[in-house]
Amino acid sequence: MGLDKPGLLGSGTPTFLTTRLDFVVNWARRNSLWPMPFGTACCAIEMMASAASDYDLARFGMERMSFSPRQADVLICAGRVPYKLAPVLRRIWDQMMQPKWCISMGACASSGGVFDVYSMVQGIDTIVPVDVYIPGCPPRPEGLIYGLMMVQEKIRGESLANHTALRAEDPLATGRPRAGDEEVSDLTGPFGNSTHQNRVSGLVETDAIGRAEDRLP
Amino acid sequence: MTREPAPAPSMSGFDLVAAGPREASDPSGTAAARESVPPGNPSVTALRGHFAEAVFRNRICAGDEDVVYVDPERITDILGWLHDDADQHYDHLADVTAVDYGGGRPLEVVYQLWSIPNRAALRVKCELPLDALAIDSVTGIWAGANWLEREVYDLFGVHFNGHPDLRRILMPDNYAEGHPLRKDFPLRGRFSRAEQTRRALTQDPEDYYVPGEIGERTPQVVEGDGGAGADSGAAGGDDV
Amino acid sequence: MSSAVDYVVGRNPEMGPDGTPVPSPIDPFDVPEPELGSSTMLVNIGPQHPATHGVLRLVVELDGETVVSVVPRLGYLHSSFEKLGEYRTWNQIVTLTDRMDYLAPLIYNCAYVMAVEKLMGIEVTDRCRVARVICMEMDRIFSHLLWLGTWSIDVGAFTPFLYAFQQREKVYRLHEALTGARITTSATRIGGMMADLPEGWARGVREFADNLPATLDEVDALLTCNAIHVGRTQGIGAISAEEAVNYGLTGANLRASGVPYDVRKDRPYYDYESYDFEVPIGCHGDCYDRYLVRMEEMRQSIRILHQALDRLPDGPMDVEDPRISLPSKTDCMSDMESMIHHFKLITEGIPAPAEDCWFSIEGSKGELGMYVVGDGGPKPVRWRIRPPSFVNLSAIPRLAEGHLMADLIMINASLDIVLGEIDR
Ligand code: SF4
Repeated sequence: MGLDKPGLLGSGTPTFLTTRLDFVVNWARRNSLWPMPFGTACCAIEMMASAASDYDLARFGMERMSFSPRQADVLICAGRVPYKLAPVLRRIWDQMMQPKWCISMGACASSGGVFDVYSMVQGIDTIVPVDVYIPGCPPRPEGLIYGLMMVQEKIRGESLANHTALRAEDPLATGRPRAGDEEVSDLTGPFGNSTHQNRVSGLVETDAIGRAEDRLP
Repeated sequence: MTREPAPAPSMSGFDLVAAGPREASDPSGTAAARESVPPGNPSVTALRGHFAEAVFRNRICAGDEDVVYVDPERITDILGWLHDDADQHYDHLADVTAVDYGGGRPLEVVYQLWSIPNRAALRVKCELPLDALAIDSVTGIWAGANWLEREVYDLFGVHFNGHPDLRRILMPDNYAEGHPLRKDFPLRGRFSRAEQTRRALTQDPEDYYVPGEIGERTPQVVEGDGGAGADSGAAGGDDV
Repeated sequence: MSSAVDYVVGRNPEMGPDGTPVPSPIDPFDVPEPELGSSTMLVNIGPQHPATHGVLRLVVELDGETVVSVVPRLGYLHSSFEKLGEYRTWNQIVTLTDRMDYLAPLIYNCAYVMAVEKLMGIEVTDRCRVARVICMEMDRIFSHLLWLGTWSIDVGAFTPFLYAFQQREKVYRLHEALTGARITTSATRIGGMMADLPEGWARGVREFADNLPATLDEVDALLTCNAIHVGRTQGIGAISAEEAVNYGLTGANLRASGVPYDVRKDRPYYDYESYDFEVPIGCHGDCYDRYLVRMEEMRQSIRILHQALDRLPDGPMDVEDPRISLPSKTDCMSDMESMIHHFKLITEGIPAPAEDCWFSIEGSKGELGMYVVGDGGPKPVRWRIRPPSFVNLSAIPRLAEGHLMADLIMINASLDIVLGEIDR
């Protein structure tokens, strides 16, 4: 439609038309965010509570919990994500249509929480891009609602003018970690004394082994 | 209608702590322990009568819990007898698990039994040296042992001979870092986080449609001769 | 099809008025059948599917609509609780236990500390015993209510879900008043509770127990005799008593088959023998019986709640042993001795003897066992949970075989599983 021509909606300065159009589009997107609930553990129960009688997410436009990723706008990852589940999360994210947003609900999804162990992803931001992190273990339903409103706030500031740049996706990146090796190591470094606590009862502390033959080609 | 609580050992709680840690499995103490059989559980006495040489020793833990150490070679005989014998009738297998004490000490496989009609509990333990982690499966006696043994295999690497379906159950099928609950396994795994993330994402979620794991009843087998083949296939593979 | 007669003949030969087959111009089996039913189909449910109650994955082999076999795939929520426990002191583990079964956190808190107290030989105070009974029975109802909500959604009814959640919100508030958290309560400590019961809490529990039967009656009226509900659950997923025992089923799933095994009666702890309550059992072992047993269990728990609230004694909550219990906060802030005492207990932890201890209670899902092994230090050598829903779920291939695909959903719902505990 020529919307990406410079001067109309492209990289130029915003015009009256683009700002009005942005407003309308963002208004529509903001108020009909359909969540894709990716609930795994305890946080999912709070997510259910937010949708049930007392808190009623539907008041904010999340009327329909979309259990199909293809008709969802915002992925709510609520709960622990072990490595075994990581490809599933990534697959669901890849299946969602643009524009899409992602909320990481709870300490476990955001950083691994107390589970600094062999089987857990240390923060889903190593796998998918996250827009809003909600702290708490579990966050209260009010916290989830506030997080969703922050996504709405974020949408308010988006513009069609830089839309393609913001949401460009590399098809080759499908199924790859979002972050590079160094970034993953940075993000997931041992935190505090969580893993360097020795067992008092005389255990030998062993280090992670980066054996060359164990690496995938 | 619980059975009489066995007399508590002379030391308990903090006195035991004050006495200092002791070896979990003390091979040198076997003979002495055999002499001083704690009285009490009739099952233990009967077990000693029946499988004299296969019952190594027994002790009472935490006040009133009977623990019997038996020969791993005879485990199916012993547990089968405990299950079938009219007086014992341990029909409920509460748990199968293992304990690794670290420091090269043998790994213990633990069977926790309960008799619903007699209301009696018994814990049977087998010690396996770390270089020969294999024991017979008890799935033939209790169907419920199936997943419990798979879990022990997954997390400790104990091989259960004769298990119908010994695969990893909790960790991914292609998990290459070892058996996590062993004491020599570091808490954060053996690979770096970056490597773990990459490995995780290279798994194809659909890889796990392994038709082979549904036994002989793969769709291909039944092609050709219609329903009859499917029926016999279903009957043949139904051994769980 | 090559015949000149152009009416379609079905599979069945036509019937005459007296019910005998009338010879048809075309042999009905002459029509070549399309290649249906000659091969089975694999269908994948989960791990991200609303009807699997978490991240359970079932690979189902279907012949038409009939389930030929089910292969559950677990481990999508494996958070290595047991390994992590070996790196934490005995008291620190309490916070892990409620993250395992987030549907009945207080039962897990209690079961864990009860096992450790048995290992250490600690006798808790009378007030603590009754308070824990109240907590456990309240959370049994709490967990059964969630089961009721998801069960009714699976059967196609939405209203009971909302009714159940309304009541659950009340328990959430009680949790919050007791501990400050809605789900992750961490309410117990070795030798006592995190704090004494707050002012008016017992009254709140009693109010909840008074109001719940009305909701249960309403749900009863909606479901128990509902033709759709009955049709979808009676005779589905039945298992005999012997087989249920052999599969290691426990809890309501076992009692629905007619085995009256309830740890509260068979191996009483915390004076359960002195409470007046019944253990409901079923006689068919199918989904409908499991539903009835759980509904009745909630009513029995209300009875226990009332009795426990009546007998809640005054007195201290924690044992008065300086090696176990922390000094009061006021003392810590005002005198040096208590401060050092507090510091030592927190940093060094409580040592446990080099023994092992198996302790099981009747959880909301079945027999919940805790196996703790100490080595004289303040951390466990091994902390093992006997997960009731793990063992219950292992029977699902047997239960679902030969049923329809839609029944598989009901069977799964009737087992009342929680994935946090299955995968640990
Ligand atoms: S953040 Fe806390 S409540 Fe949420 S999944 Fe993790 S442990 Fe559970």
